[in-house]
Amino acid sequence: MLAALYVGAIALGAGSAWVLLHSVSGPAAGGVAVGPWRTSLLTGSPDADLYTRARIALGALLALSRDETMYYLAQADSDGRALRSACRYRVSGPAPAARWWSVTAYADDHFLFDNPQRRYSLNSRHAVLDAQGRFALVSGPDVAGQPGDGATWLPTPGDRGLVFALRLYNPQPELASAPGSLAAPRIERLGDCA
Amino acid sequence: MITGAAKRRLRPWRGHAIALLSVLAFSHLAVVWALPRVIMAKLAANAPPETRVPGTVHLPPMTDHTQRRVVLPSPDLLYATCAFDLSRGPWRIRADPKAPHYWSIALYAANSDNFFVVNDRQAAGAPVDLILVGPNTPGAVAESSAQQRRVRAPSDRGLLLMRLLVSDYSMEAQVLDAARRSLRCDPLS
Repeated sequence: MLAALYVGAIALGAGSAWVLLHSVSGPAAGGVAVGPWRTSLLTGSPDADLYTRARIALGALLALSRDETMYYLAQADSDGRALRSACRYRVSGPAPAARWWSVTAYADDHFLFDNPQRRYSLNSRHAVLDAQGRFALVSGPDVAGQPGDGATWLPTPGDRGLVFALRLYNPQPELASAPGSLAAPRIERLGDCA
Repeated sequence: MITGAAKRRLRPWRGHAIALLSVLAFSHLAVVWALPRVIMAKLAANAPPETRVPGTVHLPPMTDHTQRRVVLPSPDLLYATCAFDLSRGPWRIRADPKAPHYWSIALYAANSDNFFVVNDRQAAGAPVDLILVGPNTPGAVAESSAQQRRVRAPSDRGLLLMRLLVSDYSMEAQVLDAARRSLRCDPLS
């Protein structure tokens, strides 16, 4: 009986670590929230604590430190509702203060959606900014949801969890030192979900 | 109220309770500590067979939905990787990427920490030339030129990841491929 208790303690210890690390993983681990976006101050950094390093390894392996690249993840819209690939979303905001930026749509396993159009992201080289310097994209499960207003279309087929990743390469030093100062893009759900 | 007899009966269990809690805490922390190392080791083990030898530069195709080795792959970047092993001495890392946009060369330790990165702006057109030494490399390994830079890795084993920004792959494929093929990862001696 005693041996079983010790085996149980090992299993409980390992299991609790697994559950804890999977509850929040990726660049959002232990980070700063800006609107629906979250980022970690310690992504890729040798200063990361034990838990942050493990969470980053699970959800954003081989990330760069924030002086080089900042990663913001969104798993909910601007009203706090969990993102679903079956829903249509409009992501819009001012062009981030960085040398180069992108918004990429990922499935909840943090891999790209399989879509025949091979459209996975909107980046600063291809984004069309409006007169106020703002970009916009619309995501959704099928081509019927494609916007007619010039916003970039990102297909998110199926019905599963959805994650948007905002990458900022060589961010402005002011933003790198204060990630909470990001002018966060809004994520608005368009209509009802299928 | 616990009587004296009951206390005597429970006394042997007190030691076991403390030991069980210690085992629980230890196994919890061991998993948290080991996970990044296991994931990095698994990444190396799952590399294509021809690139598993440290120093071999791996040139994966442009990232799309079929890439499922590393989470959050960027579809806007072209990559090159090589694993290093400093247990037998320092390595020399060289690259001269003539790429039209952003590029960077990042070094990762066995625990997944990004301990070094250099990008195109920092290189300012000059080739990258690094002497990479392990945590236990004795003595000084001097740079042989002003352009050469010495970097100490926190672990003997690790991974190099080169990123090249792609604007239009169909137009830039040749230039970007040539840029990443300039990467060399070799033992110094």
